[in-house]
Amino acid sequence: MLRLQEIWVTLGDFRLKDISLHVKNGEYMVLLGPTGTGKTVLLETIAGMHRIERGSISIRGRDATRLPPEKRNLGVVYQDYALFPHLTVRKNIAFGLHLRGKPARKTGEAVERMADFLDISTILDRRPGNLSGGERQRVALARALVLKPYVLLLDEPLSALDRSTRDRLRRELKRIHQEIGVTIVHITHDLTEAFFLADHLAVIKDGSILQQGTPENVLKRPRNRAVAELLGIENLIPGAIGENGGFITPLGRVDISIPSSVSLKSAGDCFLTVPGWCVEVLPGKAGDHYAWKGNMKVAGIHGMDGQVELDLVHFSGEHLRTFLSRREAGALPISLEKGREVPVGIQRDGVYWVPPIDHPFSYQ
Amino acid sequence: MKSFKIVIWGLGTILVLIVVVPLFRMILAADPNVLRTTVADAEVMRSIMLTLRCALWATLVCAFFGIPLAYILARYRFPGRSLVQGIIDLPVMIPHTAAGIALLMVYGRRFFLGKAFASVGLSFVGTEAGISLAMAFVSLPFLVNAARDGFLSVNPRLERVARTLGASPWKAFFKVSLPLSWRPMLSGGIMMWARGISEFGAVIVLAYHPMTAPVLIWERFESYGLKYARPVAVVLILLCLVIFAVLRSIAAKQREV
Repeated sequence: MLRLQEIWVTLGDFRLKDISLHVKNGEYMVLLGPTGTGKTVLLETIAGMHRIERGSISIRGRDATRLPPEKRNLGVVYQDYALFPHLTVRKNIAFGLHLRGKPARKTGEAVERMADFLDISTILDRRPGNLSGGERQRVALARALVLKPYVLLLDEPLSALDRSTRDRLRRELKRIHQEIGVTIVHITHDLTEAFFLADHLAVIKDGSILQQGTPENVLKRPRNRAVAELLGIENLIPGAIGENGGFITPLGRVDISIPSSVSLKSAGDCFLTVPGWCVEVLPGKAGDHYAWKGNMKVAGIHGMDGQVELDLVHFSGEHLRTFLSRREAGALPISLEKGREVPVGIQRDGVYWVPPIDHPFSYQ
Repeated sequence: MKSFKIVIWGLGTILVLIVVVPLFRMILAADPNVLRTTVADAEVMRSIMLTLRCALWATLVCAFFGIPLAYILARYRFPGRSLVQGIIDLPVMIPHTAAGIALLMVYGRRFFLGKAFASVGLSFVGTEAGISLAMAFVSLPFLVNAARDGFLSVNPRLERVARTLGASPWKAFFKVSLPLSWRPMLSGGIMMWARGISEFGAVIVLAYHPMTAPVLIWERFESYGLKYARPVAVVLILLCLVIFAVLRSIAAKQREV
């Protein structure tokens, strides 16, 4: 559906570098990256708003590299929704249909149908200035979707909303995607949003795509430390590959399999990625379930909504962070209090090692 | 808080009085009989209408060329942008008689541009076209700067979204950018028109005749004295006051959002 090949774009001091992406028909692609990393520029480049220095874009198999935005048939929804303030909701949604010369009756019907689908029929005669954030987002979606775009490009569409509206609209986006089947490219810095929505995930930083794949694979096998940090993996433990296999860290030897192709000499200064969910207090399963077991002290307990954050410290000074639901914390046979020593296990499944930067031996 | 309000109101009022007192003094001092005669004086009314008409032409022609320039200044970054901005502001700074001389040197009959225009029947010396040109030259910053600020107040993303919805750059401009910036633009246009009406220095160099109202006021003051100059000024001020009050109320009307 959408293919970007080795795209280079320069905007002032900022550059998009060698971006290649392939979004399949009907796929929900999420571009995940921190603020100011070029996500919006990439989205606008796909939409045809920036000149491409090198590389090519094709949409539905047709070269679109030099096609102006109005010829690409891509829908864009910005973070601030960019609704036309001088037009009513009805006229906003009908804007593109009017430009395409659709008869007034057909335009009216299409607008009503889309408004009904997105549950905004009651606000059609209001102006954008009088709408809530959630309503604006639906109007912006309606305005783009009514034109049946080949690809819908969403630029942080949920980040300006309060939490409850954001949760609701996240589910709504999933419903829209499933019911209409439109191909979506969605950019965000929010991990929950990315993992909730993505069929395919691309991690972007400083104008480059660091890694892409299914969310599961990217999360399990981050390519390097930068990706692991962007994915919000709670624990990055420094270490090196041991001579007899395994991974040597301040916690001691962590028993994980290392591909035989990895050169021992070049594999120093690596990091073990330990997601919070891999850290188990009072490990009770069979021994081979864990890559590491030992005692740690509770350094801090921080209550959050629905869960507690547990900060554990090893005698070497190395910390591990994990989260327990309030139910799990309450079901433990011991009470978790600061300074208490507790047995801790790191589950084998979910723990990987990464080089600090891209390196030939990193996971592909 | 209270002292703050008293001070800012006091300072603001002083400035308003600096403008209002001389004008009121002049209006109140005018002899009603002479005022009546002045209104009935065909030369005075012809001169005022000429002034309003020439200033309007100047504004319209400048809008045609100035609005695209304002859009460029608001939307594009290019080498020399600050220089262009400075050039646009220049007419505000230079003495207007000097501006008139500069215009005369270019659009007079001795320079090729003046000759070229003359060859197609357009002369700028001693004509309405010359008056409009002088007015346009000295007052265009008001329109261009207001239009530029108007475009700057429009989120560029609105234009980009319009493009993705199928609008060509022209349609995005006319359906989004212009409807959202016409109020500051109109405000700038009113200011430019007003500045054009009051122009004296540049106009008198380029076209003493036909006489605009400011030239007529000066001419009557020189020939007959204050008593005969004042009523012309009063009529011009009252007429402008009414026109600008109406236009301002249109431009200032709050946009429904």
